[in-house]
Amino acid sequence: MTDDKDVLRDVWFGRIPTCFTLYQDEITEREAEPYYLLLPRISYLTLVTDKVKKHFQKVMRQEEVSEIWFEYEGTPLKWHYPIGLLFDLHASNTALPWSITVHFKNFPEKDLLHCHSKDVIESHFMACIKEADALKHKSQVINEMQKKDHKQLWMGLQNDKFEQFWAINRKLMEYPPEENGFRYIPFRVYQATTERPFIQKLFRPIASGGQLHTLGDLLKDVCPSAITPEDGEQKTQVMIHGIEPMLETPIQWLSEHMSYPDNFLHISIIPRPTD
Amino acid sequence: EPLDDSQASAVCATEEVIRYEYHVLYSNSYQVPVLYFRACFLDGRPLTLDEIWKSVHACYQARLLERPWDTITQQEHPLLGQPFFVLHPCQTNEFMSSILTSSQKHNRLTNYIILWLSTVGPVVGLNLDLSYANLAPEQNT
Repeated sequence: MTDDKDVLRDVWFGRIPTCFTLYQDEITEREAEPYYLLLPRISYLTLVTDKVKKHFQKVMRQEEVSEIWFEYEGTPLKWHYPIGLLFDLHASNTALPWSITVHFKNFPEKDLLHCHSKDVIESHFMACIKEADALKHKSQVINEMQKKDHKQLWMGLQNDKFEQFWAINRKLMEYPPEENGFRYIPFRVYQATTERPFIQKLFRPIASGGQLHTLGDLLKDVCPSAITPEDGEQKTQVMIHGIEPMLETPIQWLSEHMSYPDNFLHISIIPRPTD
Repeated sequence: EPLDDSQASAVCATEEVIRYEYHVLYSNSYQVPVLYFRACFLDGRPLTLDEIWKSVHACYQARLLERPWDTITQQEHPLLGQPFFVLHPCQTNEFMSSILTSSQKHNRLTNYIILWLSTVGPVVGLNLDLSYANLAPEQNT
């Protein structure tokens, strides 16, 4: 359907206007101007911020610069989470542009994974895709692909090439004609208020009677507090790519159309704004 | 004879105490156990992957380099949210099934976790005491 393909494009081309400011304690030779950038929702911080790094390194001394890391209101931002997920989880109901603080010292070893090169990002990205296919197809589709197909997925993401990416990714979205969907849905549910970083469980898209499970069914199973109202009021929002999909949406459709390029549905449960 | 304080501290200064932490988790996605670990010095400074490599016994270093299933990467612990090193799980089924098949051929009783942990553990400094071999096996398979 034409409409469904439009969703794929809307997801791919989503952007978040962001303002990067250097942390005030970093030592500079002259004043550091903030740097503005439109961040792709579907990408990763360390993949798209080379210009940010160059901009701030221009005003710093070489010896003051080690691994870059990002923080929002005191919270170190996990570069291995897609940008859109980080925004929805931490800042979705705040005024734009998103204000991120840039650091070059005191890397928070207990909170963040290191990211010494683009290879680390590629490794992480491919590991997520492989895990998603383990859930969807017992790894059959990803294992049948050649190395060059794997490379094309990564290059498509890195170079923001929708067609190049989907030429291969469409195979990961197929399922046998006798089935009505994937074996299990690759998803993670995030809540900033909990210790646990995310919830991930085995969940089938099709019920034993053949009906399609919905987003609401998944949440009821994985995180019931997210959808049962307290005192009759819905205190939380369920957000994917900056929108609140209807809870009646079939989870199989969401998996095929609103997954991130890593083939996972990253779902945020956030406090509903009170105004 | 007892060492006096200055001698005792001189001895300690040449040795480094490293605290290793190992977690065994179960991967729903791959349906196998996965080994997560991290190490730090007593002052809290974490070891880098390079430093951990150096502490792995030389005989395992060569093996690690040639076997893809022993790849170690840094990943987020799914329950604690903190960085750990992880022994990659995607080939676990392959090497475990060959061990299990030969055990069954020789009618040896098996405990999956002991078999798995005694294979992957020593590679990252975790050595199981031999008494684990005497533990009661699993009821099925």
